[in-house]
Amino acid sequence: MSEMQADKVLDAQGLKCPMPIVKARRELDALAPGAVLKVIATDKGSVLDFQGWARTNKVAELLGQETERAADGSDRFLHFLRRK
Amino acid sequence: MEMIWSVERLYAALNEGGAFAILDVRNEDEFAAGTVAGRHEVPMAHVPYFDFIDDADAALARIPFPKELPVVVVCAKGGSSEFVADLMRETGWQAINMVGGVARWADALVPVSVTPAGHPWTLVQFNRPGKAALSYMIVSDGEAMVVDPARDPEPYLAAAAAHDARITHVMDTHVHADYVSGGVALARSAGATYHLSGACGYEGDLAVSGHPGPIRVGRVKAIKLATPGHTPGSTSLHVDGHWLLTGDTLFVASVGRPDLGGEVDPWARELYATLSGVLADLPDDTVVLPAHYASYAEMRPDGVVAGTLGALRRDNEGMQAGDLPAFLAFIRANMRPSPEHYATIRCINLGALEPTEDQVLQLDQGKNQCAASMARKG
Repeated sequence: MSEMQADKVLDAQGLKCPMPIVKARRELDALAPGAVLKVIATDKGSVLDFQGWARTNKVAELLGQETERAADGSDRFLHFLRRK
Repeated sequence: MEMIWSVERLYAALNEGGAFAILDVRNEDEFAAGTVAGRHEVPMAHVPYFDFIDDADAALARIPFPKELPVVVVCAKGGSSEFVADLMRETGWQAINMVGGVARWADALVPVSVTPAGHPWTLVQFNRPGKAALSYMIVSDGEAMVVDPARDPEPYLAAAAAHDARITHVMDTHVHADYVSGGVALARSAGATYHLSGACGYEGDLAVSGHPGPIRVGRVKAIKLATPGHTPGSTSLHVDGHWLLTGDTLFVASVGRPDLGGEVDPWARELYATLSGVLADLPDDTVVLPAHYASYAEMRPDGVVAGTLGALRRDNEGMQAGDLPAFLAFIRANMRPSPEHYATIRCINLGALEPTEDQVLQLDQGKNQCAASMARKG
């Protein structure tokens, strides 16, 4: 279980790139500064992509990432972003 | 104007040379680990796709190509490149999406015939540009043999079927450390005999033939030659007395690294003995067909990576070294760290490890680092 608290959750499971970041960007735009967005993704490529995006974007900082193993053995990649 | 290219189309264009550019839109780490390339260099730029999500205009302004030049957009799997290509077209670029991305590029196999048209039997070289790895198929009279196959058996089964041939023999010239071999899987699906030297230490449950006798493929006789050095079990295949499939023992421009197994000096001495012994007895017109290339300078104009032993005796760095002390000095001077994941790949290829599909895909990416001397610009 994740210990990090989120103000909003974006379910990006099953989405392939670029959609997890496209949708995260849209959600972040609607959040107040300081609010935290949790993104749940199944695309492994999202891990490095959120790191890369966090280095350059102006809307959010990456607070942390976690990997959860679902009951069926597949991985879920969690990304926590704080609205700047 | 084309909107999409397949990886095969891109590879052909890179080999022919042409007026186009490549834009890689993956993240920094992926781009730094290597991108698409071929015989000809084309203008290349890198702007991550997520920069286009943040500020499309600013990202588009960073594309350093004129709008008259077609731009092939490349990403990891083909989704983000399509997104960027769409944005580019809206602003007047001729953008082409490479379908399947670098994932598909990494696995693509391009067959090139080594034997000329009309030859009574066929020898095909399969180039895997994503790995700079080469595998082979001998086809004669309804029978086929595959040497050093890539992970996926399907292209070889399809190629054999296209020749109305059944794959009867599969061989790995040695335990590969740089890619996941398809040898066992292919031998299983085809019901073929699998050949791997007993010195390799295979631990899986497939019956392996270490038999030294000649292999018959239709009318073709192929002889195994023990050529230790790169690994203790390295074996070359002398086909019809003229072609020599050398695995990672001897490349066109260099020799196989004897330091990947951690036993530098003893293996380097074995390699020297191989080069100055068994290989020294073969005639100059023997055609060397290796399992890798380090640069496109090693490719002949017809697209085959090959060289005659005579030419290699004159130009190959590893064959230039002279006596044993000079050869050992050459090997030591070119030593560099062995990639960490090579030990894992070796275990998989020996049947000692059952990886998941995800692990295999991750391990089986990126170019080989098997040649003693470093890649030069070709």
